[in-house]
Amino acid sequence: MSYDFAAMLQTIKDKQWSLADIDWDAPGAETMTDELRAKMRPFMADLVWIEHVGARGFASLATKAPTPEIQEIYRYFHAEEQKHANAELALMKRWGMLDEDGTMPEPNINVKLAIKVLDDFGDTLPLSGLATLIPLLECALDGALVKFLLEEISDPVCHQVFRHINSDESRHITVDFQVLELIGASAPHTLLIETIGNLKPQVIIGLIVVFVPLINKMRDNIVAMGLPEQKLYNAVKRFVTVGGRGKHTKRIPAYHVLKSQAAMVIDRSHPYHRYLADPMVKVTSLVPARLLGKPQSWTEEITHEPVAS
Amino acid sequence: MTLGEFQGELIRGTAWLGHDFTGQRVAVIAPGREAAQIVPEVAATALSVKVFQEEPDWVLPLPVPGPRAVGVAMARVFLRWQVKDPWVRRLLTPDRFGSRRLAPGLGYFATLRRPNCKLITWPVYAFAAAGVRTAEGVEHRADCVVLGPSSVFARTATPEGHPA
Repeated sequence: MSYDFAAMLQTIKDKQWSLADIDWDAPGAETMTDELRAKMRPFMADLVWIEHVGARGFASLATKAPTPEIQEIYRYFHAEEQKHANAELALMKRWGMLDEDGTMPEPNINVKLAIKVLDDFGDTLPLSGLATLIPLLECALDGALVKFLLEEISDPVCHQVFRHINSDESRHITVDFQVLELIGASAPHTLLIETIGNLKPQVIIGLIVVFVPLINKMRDNIVAMGLPEQKLYNAVKRFVTVGGRGKHTKRIPAYHVLKSQAAMVIDRSHPYHRYLADPMVKVTSLVPARLLGKPQSWTEEITHEPVAS
Repeated sequence: MTLGEFQGELIRGTAWLGHDFTGQRVAVIAPGREAAQIVPEVAATALSVKVFQEEPDWVLPLPVPGPRAVGVAMARVFLRWQVKDPWVRRLLTPDRFGSRRLAPGLGYFATLRRPNCKLITWPVYAFAAAGVRTAEGVEHRADCVVLGPSSVFARTATPEGHPA
C-alpha cells in the first residue's frame, strides 16, 4: 500500500510551533559557563548555517516534487528548517554568543561555497540526488550533532527547543525515505535518466568541491570537541538501515553512492580522507570569499526575534 | 482553519477597495492573482504591508489577448524587468503545481519594492491575538488582516467574533 502523504501533510500542519511559544528569558541561561560558551559557539554557528542551507535545499526539492502533496510538505519543511535555524540563533543570543546587535555569525568558506552552488544549480539538480542527500544530512544532524549538543548543555530551554526540533526532524526523515521509496519504484528508464542527470559536471564538482570538505571540516571540528566517533557511525548506520528497510530505495544508484561516501567519512583511517577530503579542505580554505559574489537574499531571512512588527 | 483569537480588524471579500488603512500594519493573505489587485490599493494608505502569498501566479501589467503561452511569456518578461532580486523573483514564479493563472496587476511588483512592503511566502498556520503565525516560527504583528476571496482562510475560517 502506498504511503499517505496527505495525512502526513495534515499532521505537519497540526504540529506547528512558534518561537513565541518559548520563554526565552526563563531560568537556565546561567548554566552556560564561559568555557562552554567558547567551546560551543563555533559549533552552534555551524549548526545554524547547516539548518539554514538545509532549508534552501528543501526549497529546491519543492520545485521538483512528484505530487502536489509532497510539494506542499516540502514547502512546510523549508519553513521548518528555517524555524530551526531561527530557534538555534535565538539560543545563541540567550547564551550571549552573538554580538550586541544580534547579527548572524559569518559562515565559513565551505558554507559559502554550498550557498553559491545552491543559488546557481540548486533548482536544476535532479530529484533523486537531492532527495538522497537530504536524509543523510538529517540522520547526521539528528543522530549525532543534536544528541551531542543535548549531552553538553543542561539549559532546560535548549532541551525544550530541541524536543520540538526533534519531533519535526522525525517527520522529515519519515517523508524523506518515503519519497526515496516512491523514486525507487519508478520505471527503470526513469531511474536511468535521473542517474544520468546526477552525473552532470555541476553535480560531481559540487559534491567534490562543496560537500566533501564541508562535511569533513564539520566532522573533524566536532570530533575534536569531544563527539564520540561511534555517534557518527550510528547516524550513518541509521541511514543505511532505514534505507535498507524500503523495498525500492535500493534501486536508486545515488543512494548507494552516498551510502558508500558516508561510510568513508566516518572511517578516519580510510584513504578517502588522505587523498580527497583533507586536500579539499586545504584547497577550499584558500578560495577568496569575494570570488563567490553576493549570496541571494534568502541568506538574510534568518532572525532570532520571535515576533516581527 | 480558524481565525482563533485575532483581535485586530478583519477584512474579507472586496471590502479592502476604497478602505482607509492609515496608520495600520496590514497583513494581506491571498494567492498571487488576488494579492496583485489588493496590495497596491492597501499600500496606498497603510503604514506597512506584509503580503502572505499562498501560491504564486503569473502577473501581467494588462490583460493580454491570445494564447496562454503568449501571456506567460509576457508575464516572465514583466517579472524579470520589475524584480531585480533573484530570490524574490523565484518566490513570485509559479511552479509545476498550483493554479498558475494569469492575472493583471500593473503596480504589484513596484509596490513590493517599497521599503514598507514585504513579500512572505512561508505558510500561515495560525492567527494569534495580535497577528499571524507562519511556519518559520515567527509571529508577524498586524493591526488588520485582509483575506483574499480565495484564501485558504476565507474558505474555511470560522468567524469567532469576525462577521463575514
